[in-house]
Amino acid sequence: MSLVTRKLLIVDDSMIFRNRIARLSADARLAGLSVVATAEDGVEAIEQARRHRPDFVTMDLTMPRMEGPACLAVLRTVLPEARILVVSALSDRATALKAMMEGAHGFLLKPFSDEQLIGSLEELMA
Amino acid sequence: MKGARLRAEDIRVFSDAAGAFFLQTTRRRATVRTAYLLESPDPVVWDDFQGLIELAGRYRGSVGFSAPRNMLSHLLLMMGERDYSEASHRDIVGEIANQMSGYARRHFGEGMLIAPPKVLTRGQPAPRADEMAPFAIPMNWERYEAHLVVRMQPGA
Repeated sequence: MSLVTRKLLIVDDSMIFRNRIARLSADARLAGLSVVATAEDGVEAIEQARRHRPDFVTMDLTMPRMEGPACLAVLRTVLPEARILVVSALSDRATALKAMMEGAHGFLLKPFSDEQLIGSLEELMA
Repeated sequence: MKGARLRAEDIRVFSDAAGAFFLQTTRRRATVRTAYLLESPDPVVWDDFQGLIELAGRYRGSVGFSAPRNMLSHLLLMMGERDYSEASHRDIVGEIANQMSGYARRHFGEGMLIAPPKVLTRGQPAPRADEMAPFAIPMNWERYEAHLVVRMQPGA
C-alpha cells in the first residue's frame, strides 16, 4: 500500500525547537508526514514555502527579520491550501485569537510536551 | 527605586513561568525560591550563559535567564537533542528566556512586546539597563541552580 507523503515546513528561530519538531513529526501516529524544509525567520519561511509548497507549516511568532504575524499573512496568500499550526510562547489570549483570525488552523503554546505536539499535528492533518 | 514598581503578583508570574517550563519540558519540577531585589542596577551576566529578552511597548526592561552549562546540557539531553555544541547551549538558554517572557504575557497582556532573544556568556558585558534594579528569582532543577533576572517597569 502506498502512503501519500504530506510535506511539512518548520519555522522557528530556535534550532533546538526546529530539531525537536522534526524528530516528533517522525512519530508513527503522523505517518506520511515528511519535513521538506526548515526556516529560522519569516523571510526564509516564505522562500521555502514558495520552493517546496508544503501542505503543513508549524510557525513560531517571535522571530528576527519578519515577525510571525506578518509572515502568517504572506503564507496565507502563497499557500492558501496549507494548514498552519502556530507554536509560540506568547501566552496571552489576544495573540492566539489574532493568529487564528490571520488564518492559522491551530495554536500550540510553548512549552509543550511531546504528546501535545504530536496531538496538535494529528489534528492539523485530520 | 524604579525597579520596585513590580508588585508581588507581577513577580509571581515569573516564578510560575519558571516552574511551568521545567515541568512541561522535562516532567521534573524545579524549586523556585523567593525573589529578591538586587541592590545595583549594574548589568551582570550570571552563570555561563544568559538568554536575554528585551521588552518594549507598554513595558521596558528585560527578562534574563541565566544558567550553568551543565544544566543546559542536561536539559538538551532530556529534550532528545543530540547536539551539545556551544550553539545548542546558546540556543536553548535564549529559548528558555523567550518562553518565560511569553508566559508572562498572560499576566501583563499583549502590550508587553518581546524581542527575539540575545545570548550573553560569562565575562561578556551586558547591555546597560538605565537605573532599573533587577529582581532575581533563584531556582533549582535537579542538582543545578539558575536565575531569572527581571528588570521591568511601565514604558513611556
